[in-house]
Amino acid sequence: MSKPSILNFLMRRKPAHPAADDLKSKDPERRGQGLFRVGRTKMRAGKTEEALAEFDQALKLLPNYAEAVAARAESLDMMGKVDAAKVEYERARKLWAGQRPGAPDRSYLFRQRGRFTFEVDSYELALLRVKTGSFPHLACGNALLAQGHPEEAIKCYDRALKIKPNDPDLTALKGEAQSMAGRYKAAIEAFDFALATNLKAPETLNARAIAKLGLGDLAGANADWQRQLELLPPGQAAARACVALRLADYGMALPELEKAIAAEPADAYWQLYRQTALRRLGSAVEAGDLVPAGAHDAELEFQKGIAALATDKGAAKAHFQKTIKLGPVSLIEVCAAHNELSRL
Amino acid sequence: MFSVIIYGRNDSHGYNLHKRAAISFNALAEVMSDPDDEILFVDYNTPDDHPTFPEAIADTLTEKAKKVMRIFRVRPEQHAHLKNKTHLVALESQSRNIALRRSNPKNRWVLYTNTDMLLTSRNPKESLSDILGALPDGFYQIPRFEIPEMLWEAAFDRKDPVGNLAKLRDWSVRFHLNQVVHNFMPMRYDALGDFQACLREDMFAIHGFDEDMILGWHCDSNLAARLALYRGRVDTLIDKAFGYHCDHTRVAAANNKGRKTTMNSHDRFIWNVSTPYLPNQAETWGWPDVEIEEVRLDRETSYERFTAGLGLAIKPATVPFTNTSCEWHLFDDLTYDLPHTLPFVCDQVLTYPRTTAIMVAATRPAFVESFATAWRGMGFSGPILVPQECEGLPAGLPGVTSGPFADLVKKTDLFVFEFGLASQKVDDPTRVGREASATDKKRLKAVEKLFREAASTEADTRPARRKLARRFIGVNVIYNKYWPIFTDYVGANINPFCSQVLAGSPLPEPTTVRGKILRFRKRA
Repeated sequence: MSKPSILNFLMRRKPAHPAADDLKSKDPERRGQGLFRVGRTKMRAGKTEEALAEFDQALKLLPNYAEAVAARAESLDMMGKVDAAKVEYERARKLWAGQRPGAPDRSYLFRQRGRFTFEVDSYELALLRVKTGSFPHLACGNALLAQGHPEEAIKCYDRALKIKPNDPDLTALKGEAQSMAGRYKAAIEAFDFALATNLKAPETLNARAIAKLGLGDLAGANADWQRQLELLPPGQAAARACVALRLADYGMALPELEKAIAAEPADAYWQLYRQTALRRLGSAVEAGDLVPAGAHDAELEFQKGIAALATDKGAAKAHFQKTIKLGPVSLIEVCAAHNELSRL
Repeated sequence: MFSVIIYGRNDSHGYNLHKRAAISFNALAEVMSDPDDEILFVDYNTPDDHPTFPEAIADTLTEKAKKVMRIFRVRPEQHAHLKNKTHLVALESQSRNIALRRSNPKNRWVLYTNTDMLLTSRNPKESLSDILGALPDGFYQIPRFEIPEMLWEAAFDRKDPVGNLAKLRDWSVRFHLNQVVHNFMPMRYDALGDFQACLREDMFAIHGFDEDMILGWHCDSNLAARLALYRGRVDTLIDKAFGYHCDHTRVAAANNKGRKTTMNSHDRFIWNVSTPYLPNQAETWGWPDVEIEEVRLDRETSYERFTAGLGLAIKPATVPFTNTSCEWHLFDDLTYDLPHTLPFVCDQVLTYPRTTAIMVAATRPAFVESFATAWRGMGFSGPILVPQECEGLPAGLPGVTSGPFADLVKKTDLFVFEFGLASQKVDDPTRVGREASATDKKRLKAVEKLFREAASTEADTRPARRKLARRFIGVNVIYNKYWPIFTDYVGANINPFCSQVLAGSPLPEPTTVRGKILRFRKRA
């Protein structure tokens, strides 16, 4: 028996892997991530072949699991299979790059791409030694929130806030999680607290606007977006365009969208939003369907509403109402639909 | 494509710095292939009378390295407001931010590394520009591998980066150099500061490095923590490039005192970071409103400026050598050879900012004339201030301003006091036992008086924009009666007589009673 095993035996400790529960799960997402974590542990222990097998299983469940592809690449590289590794490294990068980032006017955490299993694993390891640091809790919280798990994220932020009480940035992040969980009032309080320390925080203003909209306060939301626009520097054209679109201010959005397209010509949404703005400004545009594949139903409804506005206001109104019903309050189209409706 | 950002100063940071840095600069330039690529070196707080560090080792750099390098010189005066807050003489965050602010906006990537790193692409046909050009947006690190000191010192040829990188590829296998040292997230690898590649746009968005970090160490980890938050992940480029560090721990560097090393707080700057942004420095990071001099190694070099200035001021010698003497019986002879001395005077001023205002208190009209010619020829735009108390000097020279000493002393950045014989012509023999005439004595007395006053009251007359003491240059102050007088007031090194020049900062307290009285009277 090895030393750790003897110790486990003497202390009657279960040598269970932290991912043991995940491996039993029927949810492919959870099981896939569990397999990845087991693979990483084996990789660190030098059992590269076994690690590869775990990553392969994870990829069968989650074929777009970039972290598992990257870990596979590193394992192959360590084994000297350099050419095979190269292909996998590139594949992982393509998978990450292919994921759509969140809107650039929102908190940085919504712009991240990936499942972050590797990162969360590493932060959890750090927490075994780092007892006085809020950072690993915060980073775990962000990873969870970016994956759409607000309740778990709130627990992480609470742990971080125990170490760093009343920190305005942590409080704002907790507010984001509360807002995602639909607890808009608590979220607004958190954002108010954060903004009292730093008035010039464009992302927090955006977050508060969304939470206000969640409570039905369109005027309050618009005021925060206006303030955000004032704070965003001209260099952040994509972010400025998104805020202007939320306000359904297409005259303001159009030049910013032109700049965003110049910087990222391949971004399908900038092209779509440019077309939207042109249509709303009364310019003739080609009728080609620019809505990207895999777009949210609310996004489709919103475009239908824009198309209907010129000829059938009643239909447009119905489409905008449906947009609001289908989409999350944070979606650009939902915010814009609220403003469109207020003018009809 | 990318801007490499490094920093340092002209000192002796660690063992055999010059070789390490030359190897590194040349190797970094070698992996660049895009016309927009650049190496930005921030030369932080090198004394004004020294050249920048890359200038000091320019002869060991390849033409390519000289072409891609832009040097930003941060003067001691610009660091003065931070001097009392840190034990360090070069500040990493400030340096890196100054470079970032002034980096080529066409470049998508910024690469933070240090002056002892060599980067090799795993595919020798790929340049780092190729690699970065094909990468998706992100924040990338690579592990750092160590090169034993003996290897880089003994086997690398400073000016052969291609050969050095080939050797490195061979050694990495033969001597098992490639050991990846993993680390906790967000650091991912140990010694991460030697390769952090990130988007220029991201660095602007998060307001650069944290300029509160002025005690040394962990600036790289803080950046990693903030970029890891901003991007969510720390990606690896291990499949594309390896980074090798020229180990230099035989002699500890100034920021390494073993267990007694003062450092920026781990807790504050790594484990309790809660946002990628630094709103408190959002408008000020990288000192956007401070004029930072840019120096190039491929154009308008110091040597070119020096020769341009002196070429205008003096003609080439027509004899194999000239003579002077330091024998003691000639102690009172104040003649000196002006064409021989002028290069040593110019040498003292060449490294100062071109906008420097310089006071010249002199006895010999020819000195003022030739110095003024050389000054303009060297590209200085600041005025030469001549006190009207110095009689017999030429008037109306271009760029020369005359006025009362009391006014000019408050405007000057640098002092030159020349103690010669007003009556000496350029062709007169030197040190043959000549006695001073009455006029000579009168002029010398005036210059001496001004010197004593300037040196003993320097701190009180300093312009408001300056925090540091101004430098004094004495011409013809060795092995004559002005040697003790000059060194009573100025902390100058012992220089060879042949140079005829001494220079230094005023002593904190004059060593003479007369100086102390002068200072007391001025303060009263």
